[in-house]
Amino acid sequence: MYETHLNERKSLLDWPLVLALLGLMVVGTAFIYSASLANESARTLSWFRQIHVKQIIWYAFGIILVIVMCMFDYRTLARWSIIAYWLTIFSLVLVLFIGTGGASWGAKRWINMGFFQFQPSEFAKIGFILMLANFLSRPPEELRSQKLFLKALGMIALPFLLILKEPDLGSALVFFPVGLLMMFVAGVSGKLLAKFIGGIGIIVALLLVDVLFAPPDSKWQIKLHPYQRQRLLTYFGKDFAPRDATPAERKEAKILQNAKSYNVEQALISVGSGGLTGKGWRLGTQYSLGFLPRGVAHNDFIFSVIAEEKGFVGSVIVLTLYTVILFSGIKIASQARDRLGKTLAIGVVALLFSHVFINIGMNIRLMPVTGIPLPLLSYGGSSVLCSLIAIGILQNVHMYRRSY
Amino acid sequence: MLVFDQLKRADRKLQIISIGVLAGLIILLAGLWWVQVVSAKQYEANLKNQSFRSVRVPALRGKILDRNNESLVENRPRFDVNLYLEELRSQFRYEYTNNVLKENVRLHPELIKPAKPSSLSRFFASVTGGSKKANADKPNQEQAKLPVALRIELEAEARYRVASNITAQITSTLQEPKILDRVRFGKHYAQRPYIPFPIAQNLSAKQVAIFAENFTGLRAVEMEIQPTRTNLFGTTAAHLLGYIQRHDQPEDEDEISYKYYLPDYMGKTGVEATFDSALRGKAGVQSLLVNNVGYRQHEETLVSTEPGQNVSLTIDLRIQRAAEKALSAAMANVRGAVVVMDVRNGDVLALVSAPTFDPNAFTVGVSTEQYTEWNNEKYSHMFNRATHGAYPPGSILKILTTIACLEAGVLNPKEIFHVQPDPENPGKGCIFVEGRKIRDTASPGDYDFNRAFMKSSNAYFIHNGLKAGLRKLVEVGERFHLGESTGMMPLEEASGDYPRTDNLKGWSTGNTANLCFGQEITVTPLQIAVMTSAIANGGKLYFPRIVRKLQAADAEMESDASIFRPGVLRSDLHLNSKHLEIVHRGMLADVEDPAGTGAKSAVKGFRVTGKTGTAQIEKGNKIIDHITWFTSFAPFEKPKYAVVVMVQSGASGGGTCAPVAGKIYEVIQKIEQGAMPLKVVAQLN
Repeated sequence: MYETHLNERKSLLDWPLVLALLGLMVVGTAFIYSASLANESARTLSWFRQIHVKQIIWYAFGIILVIVMCMFDYRTLARWSIIAYWLTIFSLVLVLFIGTGGASWGAKRWINMGFFQFQPSEFAKIGFILMLANFLSRPPEELRSQKLFLKALGMIALPFLLILKEPDLGSALVFFPVGLLMMFVAGVSGKLLAKFIGGIGIIVALLLVDVLFAPPDSKWQIKLHPYQRQRLLTYFGKDFAPRDATPAERKEAKILQNAKSYNVEQALISVGSGGLTGKGWRLGTQYSLGFLPRGVAHNDFIFSVIAEEKGFVGSVIVLTLYTVILFSGIKIASQARDRLGKTLAIGVVALLFSHVFINIGMNIRLMPVTGIPLPLLSYGGSSVLCSLIAIGILQNVHMYRRSY
Repeated sequence: MLVFDQLKRADRKLQIISIGVLAGLIILLAGLWWVQVVSAKQYEANLKNQSFRSVRVPALRGKILDRNNESLVENRPRFDVNLYLEELRSQFRYEYTNNVLKENVRLHPELIKPAKPSSLSRFFASVTGGSKKANADKPNQEQAKLPVALRIELEAEARYRVASNITAQITSTLQEPKILDRVRFGKHYAQRPYIPFPIAQNLSAKQVAIFAENFTGLRAVEMEIQPTRTNLFGTTAAHLLGYIQRHDQPEDEDEISYKYYLPDYMGKTGVEATFDSALRGKAGVQSLLVNNVGYRQHEETLVSTEPGQNVSLTIDLRIQRAAEKALSAAMANVRGAVVVMDVRNGDVLALVSAPTFDPNAFTVGVSTEQYTEWNNEKYSHMFNRATHGAYPPGSILKILTTIACLEAGVLNPKEIFHVQPDPENPGKGCIFVEGRKIRDTASPGDYDFNRAFMKSSNAYFIHNGLKAGLRKLVEVGERFHLGESTGMMPLEEASGDYPRTDNLKGWSTGNTANLCFGQEITVTPLQIAVMTSAIANGGKLYFPRIVRKLQAADAEMESDASIFRPGVLRSDLHLNSKHLEIVHRGMLADVEDPAGTGAKSAVKGFRVTGKTGTAQIEKGNKIIDHITWFTSFAPFEKPKYAVVVMVQSGASGGGTCAPVAGKIYEVIQKIEQGAMPLKVVAQLN
């Protein structure tokens, strides 16, 4: 009796998870500070407006949110999932009308709330995980039905299409691995999943073939945003110019291509020049000399800063911290007392893994450039809050795993 | 362990997910290993390539000195005012946001869509108070909405305004108002913003003082000292010293790929060109760390410069200047040359070519008109007539004809030869060779050697020369290395035109007759000086020497210098001393006898010997020009100096050239008496 009680108390927190979380927060603060040194005008701001301080504030805010969330059993929270989902869907619609995009190609991704640039797509991912997990939490026989599968697909498709409209292809695509993995774990018919994935695979392959090889301005060409087409071409190392381009057009395309692949090139130089042990904290030259654009060094490309200053050793440490979080998540899923908990945990793991893989991958040209942040390390309120909420969900599943 | 526990899960699905996640992480790890460990070197190289600029810093060019260590060419400090663009960044930005941008917004409101605050933020703003305030906090939002091309244009405008304001302020304070050249500034900014931009050059002493008083302590503007090549005596020895020209892409011995070259100069002619590598020294390398827009952040000297060596010449500045003065007084618009040589060792004491030019003009840049004038076909100011010009020697070659006849044993100096009068011009003599009449400038009558030499009778020397024969005549000239360059100024030396004994095909008796009095061939004044020196010193033909030594600028010891040996013998001619005496006496008589053609070169108390010459330049059968000569040595008793004077289109050797030599000997006499100070006060024009 006494022993059980002790055990319960001891595992109130999943310690490896919490420690890895704290580690990432320290790393995030340190390197956002480092990256902000390059910006002269940012350096002159008062301390509480410096971005690394702002990031700490977001961390604190997120931790409070997690504590509040953990005061309620996840099953209680799941009852609110429908409201959360539709609220985020509403914000996704709203962003299409009143959103701002900073300098990103007229895209509308943020809602300006004065003190805070709210990014609905980030929150939509959380709302979606809650909604789908709740939806899949039903008897196994129902789960195998095709109707349910289509409904679940609909839940993916709604935010996917809205985010695609912003446009933000990268964020939109994340919904698929997250949703499909949750369905897989929950027990949706494997055949249906396989068919669907196969179908998607064929479509994607056709799409790529079209983008890479279709003659330009013909009816064969699928309508994509020019920037999306360019990013794909850049990723696959193809010339922008069509085969029958005049030399002048070719030259222009070349310039455009250089400009488009500039960030990736510079990120690669940052990461690569870091070598084994890096140049040392605050001693990176790529962002301080402005080659790695100051606008992205502290958010989408924060990993380049870390890799340049701490080298391969630093990269491995960051990867290790994520590994701990991801596998703690899988462990939590396996220990969850019900399917809801398990599905929730796997949803979070899938979300975090997708972000980590895509973001680090794009720093080393493994993945095309997208606006997907690195969880907890990239600067940004929406991203930090959502990452912490996601980890809060894991923690919640962990905490309430035994309270029948 | 956490990871492996998950891989061994009983739950198949979670096991699959664990494997998937682990695989993904391993892919990332492998990718990072590839980029950061395997290819690190390549990316480091890319990094260096984009953020470092190596700048070539030229070394200080060595001086050129005369034989008494008088500086002829050295580097004078020039004061320039430079603008450091990286220090102006904040001013550029301020000008852009506060002036240029605002003006354009006012003028063309349609160009700029002010960032629309989102409806939500408008809502929040109205709650917190006033949307204007919210907008004022973000002036950059306007910038984001500007078309890129316009923004680039406006930023360039802002930079130009800042730089031109500073330029105007400084140059007007320096009392030399200047307007900044927009194109030049734009180009400099685009190509090398990490190099300071010059806004005022070559400040006067007064301007230096004004600048120091008013602008010291400004970070963006600095006065810098630039060494400037200066020929202290202007046009003096211009051909010998040569000129330098800006040379921006030197092919260095090492393969550093420089991003930028600071202005360097390269010798184009004369000593500046021949000894360019010694004078130039070794360039240094500076490494600049630059940022993405190319401003300098930091600089470091990787290799320091090695100053060039000083070149000491054999020239005596006093003689050189006397020779130049004397030659230019010979006639109006004189075209000619003077060579003064030490007959004992072949040292060149003066080398003059007229007309001349000013090498200093090339360091600042020669105007097109000036350049055209200097390259005029007739006058060709920059052509070194003393070494590069080959002219028919005329009667001065009779010295060699005499030697040939004496060596062939066909000349008895006492024997009388009767020169018949020219039927068409009874006042002058003539001689018939194979039925062709060759006119003489001397009068008809009876000639022994002394009279013939002094009066320069062509008929006498043709008569005797034909007896010696073509082969003998040519052989003597060959021994004196006529038709070969001396190697003294490899870039600007002619070898002259002279036959070879092994190839005399096509030489008729008429040609041979012409050769006897110095027609049919060409020589350079320098060759004649070498020849005359050998006659004077008893038959030793030296390589002429123009450079005494090369010495590092900071080395005081003679032993550190690389010395060019004086008196390098080219050939010992084994001339018979009796023959030489006959020639010497003939040359002495030519000057000292009042009837001699070279009488005008006589100097009281200094026994000069000489031979005049007036060569004819014919076109078809018409004489179109004359080359007048005077070659000489002195003093007669103990020969030390040879002076050769050549003037194109002169009246006669005796009338035009002999007086020039006379004036030079007067100065030489003073030097011999120790009555001439070593120092010549530099005159800069």
